[in-house]
Amino acid sequence: MFAYISRRIGVMFVILFGSSFLIYNAAAYAGDPTEGLRGSTAPQAHQKLIALIRELHLNVPPPARYFIWLKGILKGFTGHIDLGLTRDQNPVSTAISNAIPITIRLILLSFLLAILFGLGLGIVSALRQYSRFDYAMTFIAFLMYSLPIFWVAVLLKAYLAISFNNFLLNGKIAPLWILSASAVSGFFWAAIISGTRKRVFAIFGVAGGATAVILTLLSVTKWFTHPGLGPITMLILGLAFAVGITYLSTGISNKAALRSSITVIIIGFLLYFPVQYFLKKDANLLTILVMLLITIAIAVGVAYLFAKIDRRPVIRTSVFTSLFAGILFIIDKLMKTWVPYINTDAIHQRPIPTISQSNDLLPEGNFWFSSLDTVLHLLLPTIALILITMAGYIRYSRGTMLEVMNQDYIRTARAKGLSERTVIMRHAFRNTLIPITTILVVDFAAIMSGAIITESVFGWHGMGTQFNLAVHNQDLNLLMGVFLFTSSLVIMANLVADLLYSALDPRIRVVGKK
Amino acid sequence: MKARLKSRSLVAAVSAASVALIGFVAVPAHADTRSTVVAIESNTFTSYNNITPDTNIVINGDVQYLTGFPMFYYDDKLNIVPNPKLATWKITKNLPTDFEVTYTIAPGRVWSDGAPITAADLLLWHVTTSSDYSKAAGLGDPSGATGSAFNSVNYGGVYDSHIAGIPTLSNNNMSITFKYDSQIPDYLLNGPGLEPMSVHALQELADGKTSLGSVADAAAATAKFVSEVTSKNTKALQALGKIWSNSYNFTTVDSSTNPLLLVNNGAYHVKSVDSNQITLVASPNYNSGPALSGINTLVIKQGIADGSPSAQAIANGDADVYQGQPTADAVAQLKAIKTAKVLTTSSLAFEHIELRVASSGSDTYTGPFAMSGGQKAADLRKAFLLAYPRADIVQKLVQPINPDALVLGSVITLPGNPQYDHAASVNGMAAYNVGTQASRTAQALRLVKKWYPTAGNGSTPIAINLLWGSPGNTRRTSEAALIIAAEAQAGFKVTAPATAGWGGKLTLTQYDAHFFIFDQTANPQDAQACGIFQAGGGSNYTGINDPVINSTCAALQKTTLASNTVNRYRILIEQAVAKDAFFLGIFQNPEVTAFNSGLSGIVPAPLSPSLFWNFWTWHF
Amino acid sequence: MAIFSRKNKVEEIVDGDIFNKETEGLSQGQIVLKRFFRHRGAMISLIALFSLVLFVFSALGFKIFGIGYGGWWKYKITDLPTLRTDGCPIELPGCPTLNLIPGKHFGLGDHPFGQDDLGRDYFSLVMRGAERSLEVMVVIGLVAGALGIIVGALAGFYRGVIDATLMRLVDFIITVPVIVLGSVLGYHFGSKGVLFLALFLGLVSWGGLSRLVRGDFLTLREREFVDAARVAGASNRRIIFKHILPNAIGVIIVNVTLLMSGAILLEAALSYLGFGVVPPDVSLGLLISQYQDSFTTRPWLFWWPGLIIIIVALSVNFIGDGLRDAFDPRQRRRISRKDRAAERQSAEKN
Repeated sequence: MFAYISRRIGVMFVILFGSSFLIYNAAAYAGDPTEGLRGSTAPQAHQKLIALIRELHLNVPPPARYFIWLKGILKGFTGHIDLGLTRDQNPVSTAISNAIPITIRLILLSFLLAILFGLGLGIVSALRQYSRFDYAMTFIAFLMYSLPIFWVAVLLKAYLAISFNNFLLNGKIAPLWILSASAVSGFFWAAIISGTRKRVFAIFGVAGGATAVILTLLSVTKWFTHPGLGPITMLILGLAFAVGITYLSTGISNKAALRSSITVIIIGFLLYFPVQYFLKKDANLLTILVMLLITIAIAVGVAYLFAKIDRRPVIRTSVFTSLFAGILFIIDKLMKTWVPYINTDAIHQRPIPTISQSNDLLPEGNFWFSSLDTVLHLLLPTIALILITMAGYIRYSRGTMLEVMNQDYIRTARAKGLSERTVIMRHAFRNTLIPITTILVVDFAAIMSGAIITESVFGWHGMGTQFNLAVHNQDLNLLMGVFLFTSSLVIMANLVADLLYSALDPRIRVVGKK
Repeated sequence: MKARLKSRSLVAAVSAASVALIGFVAVPAHADTRSTVVAIESNTFTSYNNITPDTNIVINGDVQYLTGFPMFYYDDKLNIVPNPKLATWKITKNLPTDFEVTYTIAPGRVWSDGAPITAADLLLWHVTTSSDYSKAAGLGDPSGATGSAFNSVNYGGVYDSHIAGIPTLSNNNMSITFKYDSQIPDYLLNGPGLEPMSVHALQELADGKTSLGSVADAAAATAKFVSEVTSKNTKALQALGKIWSNSYNFTTVDSSTNPLLLVNNGAYHVKSVDSNQITLVASPNYNSGPALSGINTLVIKQGIADGSPSAQAIANGDADVYQGQPTADAVAQLKAIKTAKVLTTSSLAFEHIELRVASSGSDTYTGPFAMSGGQKAADLRKAFLLAYPRADIVQKLVQPINPDALVLGSVITLPGNPQYDHAASVNGMAAYNVGTQASRTAQALRLVKKWYPTAGNGSTPIAINLLWGSPGNTRRTSEAALIIAAEAQAGFKVTAPATAGWGGKLTLTQYDAHFFIFDQTANPQDAQACGIFQAGGGSNYTGINDPVINSTCAALQKTTLASNTVNRYRILIEQAVAKDAFFLGIFQNPEVTAFNSGLSGIVPAPLSPSLFWNFWTWHF
Repeated sequence: MAIFSRKNKVEEIVDGDIFNKETEGLSQGQIVLKRFFRHRGAMISLIALFSLVLFVFSALGFKIFGIGYGGWWKYKITDLPTLRTDGCPIELPGCPTLNLIPGKHFGLGDHPFGQDDLGRDYFSLVMRGAERSLEVMVVIGLVAGALGIIVGALAGFYRGVIDATLMRLVDFIITVPVIVLGSVLGYHFGSKGVLFLALFLGLVSWGGLSRLVRGDFLTLREREFVDAARVAGASNRRIIFKHILPNAIGVIIVNVTLLMSGAILLEAALSYLGFGVVPPDVSLGLLISQYQDSFTTRPWLFWWPGLIIIIVALSVNFIGDGLRDAFDPRQRRRISRKDRAAERQSAEKN
């Protein structure tokens, strides 16, 4: 194992050497860094040209210039890696290390959510193969896949930001919107649950009606301008989730799991007011982390109390439930921060931004202001990225699930008399995850370098922006810096995918063998 | 039952998402007096010192202008406005071989750390602009292989070639005299200015200080600097040069930034910089220029793409001011915003068509337009320019953005200049704009038929290679399509593919013509046009070598002239250009400024710092 | 629970004799075709795509080896008719004349898709753009698909040194950012035409597919049916192509179709950066990125090319979906209304 990994890493350096040489020369021959000076009639243009030739070694032919660059990289072995300077004389390493956390912030959430929704929708779509839902999902997935992101971005900005901010000024929902939203939700649920015609109509009615009632309530109470959940709503949501997660995770017949997850929710409910004390404005990430650990500890404890045998699924269920409860607490707190937040000078009643990654004008030292600010700035780009990346996951998980469902072991599992839920959740779902996982790992590395247009339309400044700058300014050092980072990441991801593949599927012998 | 429970909670989520898609009629935001302006720029800030070759870009210059008030500035009419609050100057000797200008700093002016501004701060200009000084002080040859310790962009200009000796400070350190070996043109533009840093802060940085010192410390540091400069202390100056060239290149400013780097004399002070935005706050000690009118915080959101993203940011109130060169559609989007005003102006950048008439360097040119081709080539050049669809280009591609755009009648005296109408009527360029395009094309075809009787009616005997830009340039792509169609009617077969790396190919003689944009950065006597038309000029990509142009340019570049003489000379050059028939202006680059209609005082100017030139008058 | 139930019972019915009767006495090719024709989405898409291709390629005409066809549309992309202003909103000249509302203005009109800034007929531009984009899509799909399958299959089947070598080659390919390479190729070979560019893009975009195929082969080669085939004396080639490949075809087809529709978007992204199709040639991607600001002001400039991209991407993917189902040896035929009715009856009886 160790030998295998170290061999792969050794090969990685060879590959990086080859491809960096290729890219360096290709890019050097493809661009002319002095181009921008040609249209300038300023007397300084000449001095700029002299400096450029000197600083970028333009008098050295690219293949030789590559080794000047490589010399700086090889200093990495002595601990002082030198990625060179950008064309504006700032270190490439600074530019990249500033950009990485921004890109990760942008991508991580959308990546996780896209997986969650993509897998969920894809699997349901496979289970309902050739149903209306399946056709609709396939259609929607392909549609999203073919949309250019800048188009999605413009629409999101127009409706979710500009119009929504205007809407917030009075917070009333027009009846026409309530009607259409109800119809949409009715169709969605009727399609997904399906059944006899009578049942479909009933579901349509219930879902549509529920939407209409909720929306009217929200509109009448001006919930959007003064949002909040409150302990009672949280209790109801929590209980619903507890039942749901128990059903998916262990089956509702597992009384221990059901009891322990419901107990977790009730404990959360009882702790509502004490917890508020800890969520004051000078809270920080550490507070949140500590509370998270306490939550998990409580959940595990409760599970131990209820389950005497076969504890693992019960613990799992109870921990998931408690995490959901924790998220509810955070959402509740953020909603409470909403009113003071939108009334600050910096926000000026328009909370949903269309550009930037943060608002630096907010009063400092308020953890919840800055958290809410981060969430709101993430909102639009995250939705855009989810929409376009989810399509692929829907397709892959649907395809894999279909294949898995036709395997012999599924037939065997059914023959054993296992319930359909157990067959799907325990046998099919897990086996679906094997190929998907490896795709995801590689995909994550690809997304890191692929957010160019997203970053540009939303005014974020991560790796995509650096790449864009490098290409547009013919900034070779910066380009190579970005390239080194992303390609090492891609290679590492592929290595991890290979290891995961053999770890998840014991039949594959790739590692142990020479 | 359980299914119902779950579906209902999901229904709530779905409905919340659906609700988010709802749009409503805008209700005007309630207006209270704000003191913060958020501007957006498409570039990103790279350095607090904008006079090195690599950092001499617009956004750095804008930040510099907002945080350091100059001795004079351009207004929106291209006039130079002196700032007597900071300094005054006068010519103390005006002989052909002995020309002296003395600058006097107004008493009581202070840097942001409270230290007084003295004439010694202007001495730094000499150190960073004179090649002779750099060499004499052992700092290196700025045009050589290693460069100078002060990596300045200003070497090699008029000042550099004419300054004589080290400028002399008065006894009280408040005046400084610059002595030149001859009279120079535009002595103000070519003369010294305050640099982005004070000499005392620079010296303190070199001494390893990391916090602001007292006024006495500053005086000591200034004295030390002056003695190092006058005694040409190579080692000390090299240390200063290293800091001057490198330490100001930063892209983040926070509490850990050395405050000495940010000492300035401007209305605003840099509070923070991150990859997202630059936050500037009013500087309490500021007394070097006009007082602010109510904007105490100025935020520049950087790296925001032109077009839709900018328009939507303005519509959503994420930003108050935007200036850029958007597409016609983005302009329409901006104009549709009820809470914003949109101004379209012209910058001092103009697009032009130029024909190669002679060789450049060792590459020989013998194409259809070569001067050596005599009358035939002259007729073909004239025909090509006559058939060039300038009116069509302006009408279809520029006027949708700026309805006031004109077909340029002069490239040296641009529209907006009070002399423009006169210049355009007498410089001979009008001959290319008479009648309709159809009549001009007919005239062109007659000229061509003199030499190619079969030309016209689909026959295009003259092959022309046209160079214009890279594939991403949408407007020029469209122009090329118009040109190919129009020139075909006059017998020219134009080949004009998009060419990546086109800039480096301007000197190749395989191209018979080029069209692209020339960008002017100041308005000196020769309007930076001599570089284009003079033999051996830095932007001469046509190979033109016309004795009239050469001698007139020499006169414009010799001394500071009276304005009517300057105008006469400018017209003389253009008459020669029109006679040689190798160059025509097409249009001025349109510039669009959109801003929150509650904000007053915004009057964009044609030269950088275009949007910000009168920032002190802005208020809500 | 609704989501999990019922399917079970349906399969019991499908697993029964209907399935066997269906395929009895048919060759594999016939089964595949038969299944494919049954897939309604795929059939509609196939017809749509086929008509689109015919429509697009006949509109402007073509010329191959001197044999030419002029095309039925009256404008070429180089024509510069005057910009239509009558009947258009002010400030929006060149609006489309296509009118599907019966009445006086019903019909195609002079410029059904409108005109661009210069007055060029947008219909002809979109048609030429669609030609280019379809060509790019097919070339990239073929080249990358073939390479990805072959490399992946060899690596996954033979493992060991071959696998290690090929996969390092893949690592090399996927470390090279396509956009950088595309820009370089565009710079040097942009004038050589779009097919050349597509070929090269195909040569560098097969990395992901080959990894997937390899992964599938690694799993499948350990399965019993491969051992059975080997015991029966099948050659490696036969095992790869006749036994394992059909089992991996699902993943392959989904990936290749995504790759093909991705090719259109890749070409758009390259055009966006100025490295794709070189003007005066056009492609759908070029048009879309050129007019990305237009979609609120002059929507036709954005929507027509966008619509065609979506139609092509959708139908390619649906066809892929149909092929996947048809090729999958374990896949049962799709459930018809009749089966559903039967199932519903049995459900109600229980």
